[in-house]
Amino acid sequence: MGKTSKDKRDIYYRLAKEEGWRARSAFKLLQINEEHNIFEGVLRAVDLCAAPGSWSQVLTKSLRQNAANVDDVKIVAVDLQAMAALPGVKQIQGDITKVSTANEIIQEFKGLKADLVVCDGAPDVTGLHDIDEYVQSQLLLAALNITTHVLKVGGVFVAKIFRGKDVSLLYSQLKQFFEYVTVTKPKSSRNSSIEAFVVCQNYSPPSGYIPNMVNPLLDHKYCDFNQFTGPNRFIVPFNACGDLSAYDSDTSYPLILEGQTMYEYKEPVQEPINPPYKDIIDKTKKLQIKNS
Amino acid sequence: MPLMTRTDVTAVKFFDNYVLAGIGSQVNVFDKNSGSFLCKKEVLTGQKIYGFVISKCRQRILVFGGKKFTVVKVKVECLDTDMLERCFEPVVCNDWLLSCLWCGDTIALLTAHNVVQKWDVSSQTLVSEHASKDNSILYSGLLVPLCEDVLVMAGTVFSESIIHKCGDKVPLHRLRGHKGVIFSISCEPDKNLIVTTSDDRSVRIWSPKTIPMLPSNSLDYWQNIDIVCKYELYGHQARVMRNCITNSYVVSVGEDSVICIWDFEGKLLKKNTAHQNGCIWAVDYSDNLLVTGGGDSGVILHPLATNKHYCESQIINIDVGMPKRVLLTARRNVVILNDEDDLMYYIIDSKKTTAYKLSHESTYKLLSLSSCKQMVAVADMNGKFDVFAESCKNEPVLVNLIDTKLHLGKILSMHWAGNRHLVLCSEDGNINVLAYNNNTELYASFSLPACKERWLTSAAVDMKANIFVLGDRCGNINVYVKGKRDPIKTFIKVHGRYGPTSITIKNNHVVTTGRDGAIKYFHVDSISNQFNYMNRKDLEFPWVEKFLDKDDNLICGFQERVFVVYNMRDSCKVLEVACGGGHRSWDAQRCIIKTKDKFEPIIQLVYVKNSDINLQTYFLNKLMSRNLIKGSHSKEINCLKVYKDSQDNTKSFYISGGEDTTLRISSADIRHDMNITFRDEVVFKHLSSVRTLKLVPTIPNGLLVISGGGRAQINIKNVQFIKNADEIEVESQELVEYLVKGTDKERKGNQSWKNCTVDFDPETRIMDIDVIKDNEDLFIFAGCSDAVLRIFSFNNTFKTITESKYHKTCILKTHCFRFLDKDILATATTRGNVAFWLIDDLHSKDNWEPFFIVKTRESGVNSIATKVFDNNILLATGGDDNSILLHFLKPNQGELTSLAIESTWSSSNYHSSQITGILIVEDLLLSTSIDQRITLFKWNIENGIDCEYKTQMYSNVADIQGMDVLDVSSDSIKVCVFGKGLEVVSIPKHSN
Ligand SMILES: C[S@@+](CC[C@H](N)C(=O)[O-])C[C@H]1O[C@@H](n2cnc3c(N)ncnc32)[C@H](O)[C@@H]1O
Repeated sequence: MGKTSKDKRDIYYRLAKEEGWRARSAFKLLQINEEHNIFEGVLRAVDLCAAPGSWSQVLTKSLRQNAANVDDVKIVAVDLQAMAALPGVKQIQGDITKVSTANEIIQEFKGLKADLVVCDGAPDVTGLHDIDEYVQSQLLLAALNITTHVLKVGGVFVAKIFRGKDVSLLYSQLKQFFEYVTVTKPKSSRNSSIEAFVVCQNYSPPSGYIPNMVNPLLDHKYCDFNQFTGPNRFIVPFNACGDLSAYDSDTSYPLILEGQTMYEYKEPVQEPINPPYKDIIDKTKKLQIKNS
Repeated sequence: MPLMTRTDVTAVKFFDNYVLAGIGSQVNVFDKNSGSFLCKKEVLTGQKIYGFVISKCRQRILVFGGKKFTVVKVKVECLDTDMLERCFEPVVCNDWLLSCLWCGDTIALLTAHNVVQKWDVSSQTLVSEHASKDNSILYSGLLVPLCEDVLVMAGTVFSESIIHKCGDKVPLHRLRGHKGVIFSISCEPDKNLIVTTSDDRSVRIWSPKTIPMLPSNSLDYWQNIDIVCKYELYGHQARVMRNCITNSYVVSVGEDSVICIWDFEGKLLKKNTAHQNGCIWAVDYSDNLLVTGGGDSGVILHPLATNKHYCESQIINIDVGMPKRVLLTARRNVVILNDEDDLMYYIIDSKKTTAYKLSHESTYKLLSLSSCKQMVAVADMNGKFDVFAESCKNEPVLVNLIDTKLHLGKILSMHWAGNRHLVLCSEDGNINVLAYNNNTELYASFSLPACKERWLTSAAVDMKANIFVLGDRCGNINVYVKGKRDPIKTFIKVHGRYGPTSITIKNNHVVTTGRDGAIKYFHVDSISNQFNYMNRKDLEFPWVEKFLDKDDNLICGFQERVFVVYNMRDSCKVLEVACGGGHRSWDAQRCIIKTKDKFEPIIQLVYVKNSDINLQTYFLNKLMSRNLIKGSHSKEINCLKVYKDSQDNTKSFYISGGEDTTLRISSADIRHDMNITFRDEVVFKHLSSVRTLKLVPTIPNGLLVISGGGRAQINIKNVQFIKNADEIEVESQELVEYLVKGTDKERKGNQSWKNCTVDFDPETRIMDIDVIKDNEDLFIFAGCSDAVLRIFSFNNTFKTITESKYHKTCILKTHCFRFLDKDILATATTRGNVAFWLIDDLHSKDNWEPFFIVKTRESGVNSIATKVFDNNILLATGGDDNSILLHFLKPNQGELTSLAIESTWSSSNYHSSQITGILIVEDLLLSTSIDQRITLFKWNIENGIDCEYKTQMYSNVADIQGMDVLDVSSDSIKVCVFGKGLEVVSIPKHSN
């Protein structure tokens, strides 16, 4: 398959390269902001599960516009994976489900609180939807747990969510901590994918809630808060975000876009880090069973 | 309980004489020996089963999955559903369960946050909880009994397996070395073995460096060992999901559909593929059997055997010369042609060789064996010609029947067609057919159309129809009748550059194989002189040589240097032998032998390697797997329609297309409600995922199947359901194969098999199609990902009619319906627009525009349905925003094109995810969604459109992509939902 076929199949992949973003995900955050104004007045932000770093790029660019003094902007990016350096972004390599990582983040803020926490974390999917949904929800809850330590009251939390069979349980949980919870799907996210984002606004933990990182937050169960079947009790409004003129990630666009006269192939901004098992692929290839 | 559930099989277990399989929330029980289905029972309600743990007394089975567990008992004396008794309603824990262990009347459970919970089973109460310090998410884990307590093995995301005693803060061991998530851990303390598998595609065998003189179930033992990775094993091409340690082997299964059997020293003994490229999720063993459960919904029993059990091999010595060609005869002996002008006959039982001098002048020799494998013809290029026959009774001998010289010019090829006709091809395409009847006579002469390498590669005859079907070196298939020199029909370039490797004719069907990885089917009707290409089947190996048995079930060929035997019925490889490749001389056959008063099917393989003649016998009983449940699609089903044939009401047919790029026609035997047997009848391949299909009934008992999907492909097939004795046979003919220009390579490739009439970007996906029939013409409306609506017509030929670029974004749905005696098309996009188009006189449309638009929502419309009544339209749409919208549309003063919205109804309270299926049946509305729920409503228009919630059901099928109605009766409605698998449920109409 040709070099350009991915450009043809995925408009946002191509645009990311053209606009200098490290990943196509950048557009998701930009489009969420267009609809929800999540960057308004934000100076301090935490970017959880940040690698390769396109959300951090977006945050850097946007928060600096809010600040009179660039030094007031504080962005902490956390990921399991190493990430190429970004000016103005403090990086922590670690697991967001671990206490030690949470402590590191808290220390970075030196007693101050963040205005915004975002989490784009996604596990390596197994292909079994219920396990994937479970692991994804645990990432979200870990992010929420960190959020309860660092987010200022009234702050905003944005996180990736899988809208699977038990998603309403997560909604009910988020509603305990935030006044407004909305699900949003950026135009840059495929129609067919189960991925969406929760935008949680006005952080207001239950009175007397004491953040605790030692015990993980466990998700809700049916019967406590919600029924297994029947109308949902926790209705979370849904909206599509990205303005009307935005490209649509399901649409196949020609290489020469409307209003353009030429197309030039661009290399990815940040080459993907080699999979850890690259050498293993070679080992497997050589293998053969001897029959006698 | 659903009538039929087919989805990922995530747990399997042998239990006494039974095999248990966890399919969704149900336990299915099979008899281990006969393989027959015994019963199924809903056990975990709303939760997939991930494991079975049998209690020590073997009376109770703990069933767990997700956050739930329960206990069942098997009552051997009871039949059917009563055989399984659930002791209590599933208990819901606060976290995901990974491993369970019986400790008397208590059970220990390991959760995904590395917490051990102990529950009292009889009262179902939590007794104690022991958290570990390492509490980030685990993907796998194992509880191992210790005499003091429980040992925990935790498989983390960070490539480490951590071993600690339950409750201890400090781990005993950290097994490091993997480079990815740990997906499975097993442990056999008595064998001093731990086996882990991982995302990094490796299997690792761990053992204590030195084995202490301590009982392996004592804490002392675990405190006093130093565990090291003994072997790092690579055999899988993808993630390795599960493993088990049997009495003598380690068995690993993976996402690549592969089962690897290793010995404890890490030697790979056997590798075989099952489950049609779907992931294998579960494995268990017992004595000499393995059972696996897969992503293709299948459950398979495999003999747990390795080469030394199923293979006998020997090397044949010939005294004179070097072996050049080898053949296997009817009596399982070997015919050898050496480089010294001898034809030799080697008798396997007596190990004796007899040689015949051939007196050839040329070294260019031709050798052919008749279909019955008793007649051997051998010739040289100059015409020296011999025929030998193997005796059928008494002492095996090879008798020379004919020894002559032919004057046919330079002979380039010679093939038996059947048992009586020899087809010789000489220079200039001169074909002479010799008939053998005590003597040879010239039976017919034909001329091979000119081509670059003008000779034959295979031949077959059908005496009833009086036709010869000959395959030539350029890949063409030529049909001849006696008396006519030129072919009466030629199919151009059927099998690529090397020509067809074999041709078989049976009941009006010609089946050809080739080195293009395919089997092709033709239909011949010599009475009406009709010869049609029907369809093809693509196999998993590129060189397909020939069928090995008369049932056309086992087929052999090569994958690079490996000889492959493939089981057509079960779509899996049976045998792989690294013999060096198909270019060397070799032969294989399937036959039955008698061993110790037992008849056994075997495969005999002979090949020359390094001048040695290797003869091998493979015992099929120790090689062939057996399906308990037949698998089907290995990935999501994107589209599905159910068809009932009027000739047989015991069956329904499912036509489905999926992400695995296949289109399948499957049958479901519905005689027994609780045991519907489902099997694929035919499987077709697309170039990319199949996203949509529509059926158009033909008369009588047939269908046109129109399918579309990725790589801008549209296919049309004619499918006939032919009653043959008690069985219905599905016969299909490919009418339109694809119309995309394709990649450069394909464009240059042979055009004759494709209809290259349409030219649009191959990256475009066909998202949905709908079809209307207008007299003999079929009009196909294709909604495409490049926002273009394309209209094609089909009536023998496939043509582009017109296209519209009205929509600016991806079209997700196309839907046709009749309204006021007109055909109307509705199209829906990713931006929530639904456009209505009037279908009339399409040929003259250049600028086709919709006459009415409804903006339903901001996001995509993933399902659409309409109902017309009293000259009004009820439009139902379901979307990515979880909402169901009803629009009640009325034409202004009865004017069709002046529709207006009369009233609307909407709700997003019933589904929490994208709504992928919506249906209007009578006064009912059904919806389904990725959230695995099916909702039933009742609508009315008393005061504008209104809709009332009736009931909701859970489905075991993940990633639901849609649904189809099977049956509507006065009190219930039967639907099939599909996605990761499929499920048939009956929904009561009057529930509330
Ligand atoms: C979709 S990517 C994020 C892309 C990023 N927002 C950007 O714009 O470049 C998901 C990331 O989640 C990270 N991740 C997954 N599990 C994690 C965990 N437990 N702790 C920290 N990071 C995690 C992965 O390493 C991966 O880089």
